[in-house]
Amino acid sequence: MRQRRLRIVAAATVAALIALAGCSSNSGTPGSSGGNGGPAEITFWQSQFEPYQQKWFKTYVDKFNASQTDVKVKYQVVPGDTWQQKLKAAQAAGTQPDVATTNYGGIPAGVANGQFAELDGMLPDKAWSDIKENVSGFVQVGGKHYAYPMLVEPSTVLYYRTDLAKAAGLDPNTPPKTWDELLTWAEKLTKGTVKGMSIASVAPDLGWSSWGLQYNACGHLPINDDWSAANAKDPCYTKLFEFYQTLFQKGWIPQQPKVGYPDATPYGQGQVAMMANGSWAVGQLKQSFPAMIKNTAVAPFPSVDGDPSKPTATLGGWTLTVDAKSKHKEAAAKFIEYLLAGDPAIMADFFRQSGFSKYTVRTSVDQALASDPAATADPFMKIISDKVVATGKAEPAYPFDISLAFATAIESVMKGKSDIPAATQKASDAIDRVIKQQRLKGTAPKG
Amino acid sequence: MSMIDTPAQPTTRAGDPAGPGGTSPRRRRRPRKITEQVPRHLRAHLTAYLMITPMVVLLGIFVIWPLVYAFYLSFFEMSFYKDAEFVGFDFYKYVLTDPEFYESLWVGLKFALMVVPTILVLALLFASFIATLSKRMAAFMKTTVYVPAVVSSVVAAIIFVFIYQDEGFANWFIGLFGQGPLAWLNTASTALPAVAIPAIWLGFGVSTLIMLAGILDIPDSYFESARLDGANFWQRTRYITVPSLRSVILFLLVSGLTLTIQEFQLPLVMTNGGPVNATNTPNLYIFNSFRDATPYATSYSLTAALLLFLVIGTISLIIFRVVSSEKSSDA
Repeated sequence: MRQRRLRIVAAATVAALIALAGCSSNSGTPGSSGGNGGPAEITFWQSQFEPYQQKWFKTYVDKFNASQTDVKVKYQVVPGDTWQQKLKAAQAAGTQPDVATTNYGGIPAGVANGQFAELDGMLPDKAWSDIKENVSGFVQVGGKHYAYPMLVEPSTVLYYRTDLAKAAGLDPNTPPKTWDELLTWAEKLTKGTVKGMSIASVAPDLGWSSWGLQYNACGHLPINDDWSAANAKDPCYTKLFEFYQTLFQKGWIPQQPKVGYPDATPYGQGQVAMMANGSWAVGQLKQSFPAMIKNTAVAPFPSVDGDPSKPTATLGGWTLTVDAKSKHKEAAAKFIEYLLAGDPAIMADFFRQSGFSKYTVRTSVDQALASDPAATADPFMKIISDKVVATGKAEPAYPFDISLAFATAIESVMKGKSDIPAATQKASDAIDRVIKQQRLKGTAPKG
Repeated sequence: MSMIDTPAQPTTRAGDPAGPGGTSPRRRRRPRKITEQVPRHLRAHLTAYLMITPMVVLLGIFVIWPLVYAFYLSFFEMSFYKDAEFVGFDFYKYVLTDPEFYESLWVGLKFALMVVPTILVLALLFASFIATLSKRMAAFMKTTVYVPAVVSSVVAAIIFVFIYQDEGFANWFIGLFGQGPLAWLNTASTALPAVAIPAIWLGFGVSTLIMLAGILDIPDSYFESARLDGANFWQRTRYITVPSLRSVILFLLVSGLTLTIQEFQLPLVMTNGGPVNATNTPNLYIFNSFRDATPYATSYSLTAALLLFLVIGTISLIIFRVVSSEKSSDA
């Protein structure tokens, strides 16, 4: 009887161990070949964007796979909010993707960490010379290329309702040029349940969407150029803090925003009369709220003192990078060349799908679009391209902790948690702590 | 008493040809059974040890080893592309000198103090009420109070976000009294209580059922004699129910506090830690410190998580010390 019990227990133990072994089994390694002599199989992770982008990526991944037999791309869409966790888990397990979408701001830190393969030599020279001069530096570290750019999109553009402006006695043909004028517009356009405008009001959104306005107010970001010390207490930031504070405390922006900064839904649904948003909002309005287009105008975001030559936006955007540990770097580069650097018609199709809400980074793609009447007739494209992209600055490459520290200061002032000197002091201390702990001094990318 | 009776093994058996102290070569060569090799006190519990082995192995692989390894890794700045750099206690210093870490602990503690005592009081009252109902009615009430426990906290968070909207139920309700509207989730003073309410709603059902099980375990004779002595409901609750439920309350208090300090999903979905970190619970703080792709961020969040483990362990120990966990007198 006892032996029987022992056998049962032993069997249970073995079963548990087998189950454990099952848990730990690996489902495969990245970059593995499809078999002896088969195509090199590479994985491609794309951060999830607007639905049309997933469609575009899928179409051209399929076309690439069908067009040749050397490389097979396995395409996967990863939601943005789980990207970092998923990527780190994959890196720890050695199953990270061969090719991934990377934003411009993430390139210098990734290169410092040895995460990206150098792409010089893997893509033809003409692919590199085709990149516009103002973007070329975004994908280089120390004179070497570590990514191929896809697009740029300015972070901050002013959208406003021409019909509501007229109704409020404002001239829709002369949009506000200074922050003070914008506040006046916001006040006049706040009527009933319709708020004057929408703009970021929580630190994670303010962190990146206010970069352009930080440049506008002070000509610099809240850190020294060589990243040696914080520069958040500069008095020129006072106007920036007061601007956000007034909008929130006067109730001219939604007090409980339902969506994040990049989402144009409140404007599309008529809940706000003006909107600070990135150029990508044009695409959302065209696709989800087409009726709103005829009453919408765009303008460069106002400047602190009305000077239109000062930057109001940073030029964000996406690139494709190859993982430094990829076993098929050449194959990965071949895919990137096909998708982003080859036939200009492929990228031209992307910008067409986007409703011209994003901007090209290659001269040849500009040329391909020049003959497209849809592109030349677009009411928003020329204004954003000529007046916003032209003055846009590159996204800062420092860790987001610094942006968040300054954004937390803005949010504290907006919501009355602290006054401007206390908030900037706290931000300054936090930025200095980041500099020290993350050993940033002297690591700022040149140029 | 052991799980299996293990009668003492006789050293000799009747009819053994060799007799006591016999030297039969056949007997000497026979290998001894495993059970005979181990000391008797261990032999007595062998089955029990074997039965807990799978769980010990699982815990060892999935809890103990990762924990030990995590402590080891916390002394390095980890990179998945370069050799890890030994940094000693640097990351402990970084976390312990970060004001936001302490702010998040304070937020977690405030949140737990809002949620757990409220749940305990409500659960006690409700369980006492259910205990007085007929069997059928009690079954209906038990099911009803348990329903929120099966709702996903993400779903609950979204429902409550709608409730707190400018034009939502909460503002409609306070509007009946001529108040509001309030920006519930975007005002520092109201955001944390606003997140605590769904947490109470979600945790209330399970606590009520556990409390009810405890109440039903208290002998009726106690209440009967108290009634004969003229004790009212509050006196019976204070002098009989609560003291008899001491172990149950302690369990709910410790498990409730450790769970609510670690609340993550509700503030993530409802406020993302805002406004100005007012709802930034420790786990959300750790999660958000994982956002950068740098080796620093990985090691920092790991160390912060280990320190949170120590903090929560300490809080649990203090509670155990303060509220001694004697069994109820009749258990």
